[in-house]
Amino acid sequence: MGEQISRLMDGELEGAEADAAFRELKGPDGVASWVCYHVIADTLRRCGEPTPGFAERFSARLEAEPTVLAPRPMRAPGLPLVWAAAASVAAVLVVGSVAVSTLDPQPTVIAKAREANAVRTAQVRPQPVSPDYLLAHQEYSPTTQIQGVGPYLRAVAAGGTDGRP
Amino acid sequence: MTTCAHQRFGRAGAWFRAALIAAVTLAAMPVAGAEEAVAWLGRAAAAAQQQNYVGTIVYQHGGHVETSRLVHLFEHGSEFEKLVNLEGPAREVVRSNGEVRCYYPDARIVRVEPRTFRNAFPSLSPQQQAALANYYDFRMAERGRVAGIETQAWVFEPKDGLRYGHKFWADPVSGLLVKARIFDERNEVVEQFAFTEISIGLRIDRELVKPTWPVAPPGWQVRQSGPGESEPKETGWTVSRLPPGFLKIVDGFRRLHGKQEVAHLVYSDGLVAVSVFIEPVGSAPHPVGMSRQGGINVVIRQQDGNLVTVLGEVPAATVRQIAHSVTRR
Repeated sequence: MGEQISRLMDGELEGAEADAAFRELKGPDGVASWVCYHVIADTLRRCGEPTPGFAERFSARLEAEPTVLAPRPMRAPGLPLVWAAAASVAAVLVVGSVAVSTLDPQPTVIAKAREANAVRTAQVRPQPVSPDYLLAHQEYSPTTQIQGVGPYLRAVAAGGTDGRP
Repeated sequence: MTTCAHQRFGRAGAWFRAALIAAVTLAAMPVAGAEEAVAWLGRAAAAAQQQNYVGTIVYQHGGHVETSRLVHLFEHGSEFEKLVNLEGPAREVVRSNGEVRCYYPDARIVRVEPRTFRNAFPSLSPQQQAALANYYDFRMAERGRVAGIETQAWVFEPKDGLRYGHKFWADPVSGLLVKARIFDERNEVVEQFAFTEISIGLRIDRELVKPTWPVAPPGWQVRQSGPGESEPKETGWTVSRLPPGFLKIVDGFRRLHGKQEVAHLVYSDGLVAVSVFIEPVGSAPHPVGMSRQGGINVVIRQQDGNLVTVLGEVPAATVRQIAHSVTRR
């Protein structure tokens, strides 16, 4: 069930599929899955968890930020104030509920996420493409015709294909 | 109003006005027509093919910078070319006798790619010429020195977000490109090839374009791709939601390094191309996902027992749109 949410996060869904995933997010386990997959993604990217005292330091720095005095922006025409207000409230509600779940993660969700992590690693990591495909493509690309063999560097670049020829 | 401003600012106002006119003129530098763009591309392609040149080329993508040595010889109507990277594992690309060979001594692999398309380029189809004019503004940019040469820069600016911008710096004498840059919609450089030094039009010894290994040493693996579109046939695959401006230029099967036949479709907007590879792999899960290598974005998906790989010198969204609409005709 969480698969659609995972694909949504990876930017793989469009149109009706994306709408379905958003509906799923509103469902009973939607937010839990959302948090779960973000923990997976963060772990994969080795973001880890914030260091202890992060929230306090962040609040202190935010407090120290100077207040910006800027002219009041013109309200976009066409959006009545009441709708704008309603949208803000909705946004706060969404952010609020996500924040609550994030701050109070059910241990089982996180544990499951970490467990799933090991299984999903191979599938989530960006896949370097085979140089066979790059080479086969290169010959048909008009820009290659005007740059000579230069673009073939992509196929033999040491850093480009994870060093895997 | 203008008179008033002129009187108030005097000479400074006149100078300011002149500068303003100059700025406006520069910004409104005439957009060259489709014929000019096609002629320019043809000249650049012919120069890349028919000139003799030797130089050091720097390839930048993401956080990577790689330096290579390039030697190009045109003799008796044939091209000979050798590209050797100067950093990291010594790899080389050699073009001769109508094929490209990539040597990976670190992995003991030689990849052989037959060459079939290159000579056909300067004649873009009328549809491709129209796409070029409809989806890019082609204009002359600044003059400036690159690799010690006084160059003329040209820009292909995309008219929509489905393609990247391209800027080329050419030697006005030979027409050869000495620098090429791909930039995104925020004007950030995605990838760049540039000569740091180059000699054009010199005599070149054939020895300089021969591969280091004329015969693959024992123990090396030779991966030969079968000829591509030499037998064009309908693969039965199509892209249902093709981004505007892209036209199918190749539809056929090819054999990649001894694998079973892979369907290969190529779509081009006259300047860049997107390749679609469809390979039957069965139901066993394969690694899928998105990746990027310099100006090339890649999406790999598994779909009904096939592995669909889409890649091209276009933004990720364009590759994704194509990858998600590959269907049976």
